[in-house]
Amino acid sequence: MKRYIARRLMQGAVLLCMVATIVFFLGRLTGNPVDLMLPEDATPEDRAALTQTLGLDGPILDQFAIFVGKAIHGDLGTSIRMKQPAVEAFFDRLPNTLVLIPWAILLGMLLGIPLGVVAALHRGSFLDRAAGTVAVLGIAMPSFWLGILLIFVFSVELGWLPSGRMGGPAHYVLPVITLATFLVAGFMRITRSAMLEVMESEFVKLARIKGLSEAVVIWKHCLRNALIPVLTLWGVFVGNLITGAIVTETVFAWPGIGRLTYEAVIYRDFPLLQAVIILKSILILSINLGVDILYAYVDPRIRVT
Amino acid sequence: MFRQIARAVVLAVALAIAATVPLRAQDQKGTLVFAVESLGAQTLDPILEGRPGNAVYQAVMYDSLVGFNLEKGGVGPGVAERWELSADGLAWTFYIRPGQTFHNGDKLTAHDVKFSLERQMGPGSLASAAASMRRTIKSIEVIDDLTVKVQTTSPQIGLPPALSRAVAPEGAIMPKAYIEKVGEEEFRKKPIGSGPWKFVRNVPGDRIEFTAVTTPHWRGRPHFKDLTMLLVPEESTRVAMVRTGEAAIASIGPETMLGATRAGLEVLAVPGTMQAIFQFWGTWRPEVKDSPIAKVRVRQALSLAIDRKQVIEHVMNGKARMPHPFATFGYTDFFSADRWKKWADEAYRYDPVLAKKILAEEGYPNGFELKFANTALPGTQFMVDIGTAIADMWTKVGVKVTLKHYEWGSFAPLERGDQAPLTGWASMYRTAGRPDAPWRYNGAFSPDSIQRLLGDKGNCQEACQEFEKTYRALGSELDRAKSTALTDHMVEVTANSWTVIPILEGMGYYAINTKKVGQFAPIPGRHELGDVFERIPRPDQKPWKK
Repeated sequence: MKRYIARRLMQGAVLLCMVATIVFFLGRLTGNPVDLMLPEDATPEDRAALTQTLGLDGPILDQFAIFVGKAIHGDLGTSIRMKQPAVEAFFDRLPNTLVLIPWAILLGMLLGIPLGVVAALHRGSFLDRAAGTVAVLGIAMPSFWLGILLIFVFSVELGWLPSGRMGGPAHYVLPVITLATFLVAGFMRITRSAMLEVMESEFVKLARIKGLSEAVVIWKHCLRNALIPVLTLWGVFVGNLITGAIVTETVFAWPGIGRLTYEAVIYRDFPLLQAVIILKSILILSINLGVDILYAYVDPRIRVT
Repeated sequence: MFRQIARAVVLAVALAIAATVPLRAQDQKGTLVFAVESLGAQTLDPILEGRPGNAVYQAVMYDSLVGFNLEKGGVGPGVAERWELSADGLAWTFYIRPGQTFHNGDKLTAHDVKFSLERQMGPGSLASAAASMRRTIKSIEVIDDLTVKVQTTSPQIGLPPALSRAVAPEGAIMPKAYIEKVGEEEFRKKPIGSGPWKFVRNVPGDRIEFTAVTTPHWRGRPHFKDLTMLLVPEESTRVAMVRTGEAAIASIGPETMLGATRAGLEVLAVPGTMQAIFQFWGTWRPEVKDSPIAKVRVRQALSLAIDRKQVIEHVMNGKARMPHPFATFGYTDFFSADRWKKWADEAYRYDPVLAKKILAEEGYPNGFELKFANTALPGTQFMVDIGTAIADMWTKVGVKVTLKHYEWGSFAPLERGDQAPLTGWASMYRTAGRPDAPWRYNGAFSPDSIQRLLGDKGNCQEACQEFEKTYRALGSELDRAKSTALTDHMVEVTANSWTVIPILEGMGYYAINTKKVGQFAPIPGRHELGDVFERIPRPDQKPWKK
């Protein structure tokens, strides 16, 4: 088991190095923060001076060497725009994103899993098709559009909820629903297919032969087994939410790391962009590693492969 | 007798209290909430912020050495109530308005002015003009507490506008004694300025909070007690917040104006904040000599093919106007605005018949192929719409337009170096509203500028040479009438080159909840409201006219 964990850690480290390298060079291909910081009438001297002040004047390989040297010591640079250590900026905003995620996942599971069970139990029926429609809508509906729609209905027209920004419990409702809509669809689909598979198992037939009630068979024996792939998906979804909250955070003016990433891209804030992507990658790798280790404990075959 | 004395004492105490405390209690109430799409770097240190961020949120708490003309737009008194140029043109003397204080009670003096300018020019400064300030400012001398003299390396007619917030952020005055006492880091956490609003809290990515000064201020004492600026990147959300009353004012684009008006919001248009333009790249280069766009009359024909009034009506929802020549406005300094307005109305008219005739005369009766880069600064989607509209209008006179859309960040690098990707192309561009035309002209036309639209140092032909000569003369001309004549000539040379062609004069737009704020007027040419908030009344003080 220790060898398995060590191997996964090594793989994670290599992946991280690759991500850092790609982000460093690709980020610079998309433009230069100096272009966005200088006015239209800036002279070449103004440009040269600002480039030097920002430390962007040396050859790109030298800049990369400096970046790697500092990154090894945990210094991912200082945000060009905010003049704040990039790591600090990331961790300042991370909690704002993390407070949304559990609620979104909880809502996604609370709605998605029962819907999946119902759809599996009524395979091919109207209920199954209705649940399938919900799933397709949840996946296909752009969260951007959904967010604006929710604001229009619940804030502007009904006046029940605030339009956006972090605040009390009421402020969480619309962003959480927006994030959870995609999750409901995901959890519903995976629960449905897992339930259909489990319901065909021998042990389920045995449970029925033993005379257990249908409710116990379904909700205790079938669902418990069907939840294993659902839990795997949970890990994937957390990763998706960490990286994919950009749109929701932008629509609802939520100051999380999604927005921070967006701002880093728009302003060509290279150090911040590098830090955000590297730290997000570490976060996602850690979550995936945690899920894999959990799996390896549950299923020894995984350790071998 | 005792009762009378007691009454008199009570009355005196009451009057004393009324004379001091209630200024705030009676006159300053509520919170003015402003939702904006960007708070820039969201730092309260002026040397770390660019022009837009400074104008939006730093302006509320910092005063600028040179200020605004609130009625006409452009430059006016600021921290300095007046300024004068020495006879040799090598020194500007600024006379500081007496009685100004920072928020900690320290007096604002010439020492603070010297310190602030030197800090803007210093090594840690991200100010865009830091390099040019270092190049042009020789020394800064404090004459007395209210007088400061700036010695320049050559005559710098444009120095006062450059230190006005109407143009640039570098004139922001910072507290010398406080920064030296607490250090830069602490200053950035607990900044103080001398403006009508005091800093309260900065929550990165979310908001900045200010509270009003209670004492009189030369910019005006705020009517609201507090001011909160919310960072709300999505326009629909900003408008929703104004509709629900979560915000009183929100910045919007022209595409949202109609919806905001229909939703019962007041829409405020700030005139003369920018020009949408299109320009031709590298028309002077030998490799372009056979291209249609190398011909001045072809470029003029492309201008005649644009129905600007249609663009104003349909893309800008009627809230824009016909432009002056490139980078000039009604408030441009040393410029015959009225004369040029008449010229522009005629020159920038819609005349597709004449456009086709000119194209035929120049050898393109069936049009030609034109590559057109459509681009816009973040948050100005309407620019892309304008670009698409004019490309369509060119198609109608037979020009086959190859339209390519660029995100601003990836367009900007194309301008630099040999401009190979843009040479022979036309592109959308914009210029901000500011009163000093020469700076912008230098950036576009000077042979050693980045854009060098008339020629470079190795290939500076007639128009390029004439521009260069005029621009240089303008830089050292001390006489107002001669400066105006030179500016007019500079405008003439470039306008007749038809290299940079204005499409329309745009405006800044705000959606307003009339139940939350009273009627107010913006500063012409000043998109941002950072210097306006203190003059915004509460709705009970000045309701909006129906």
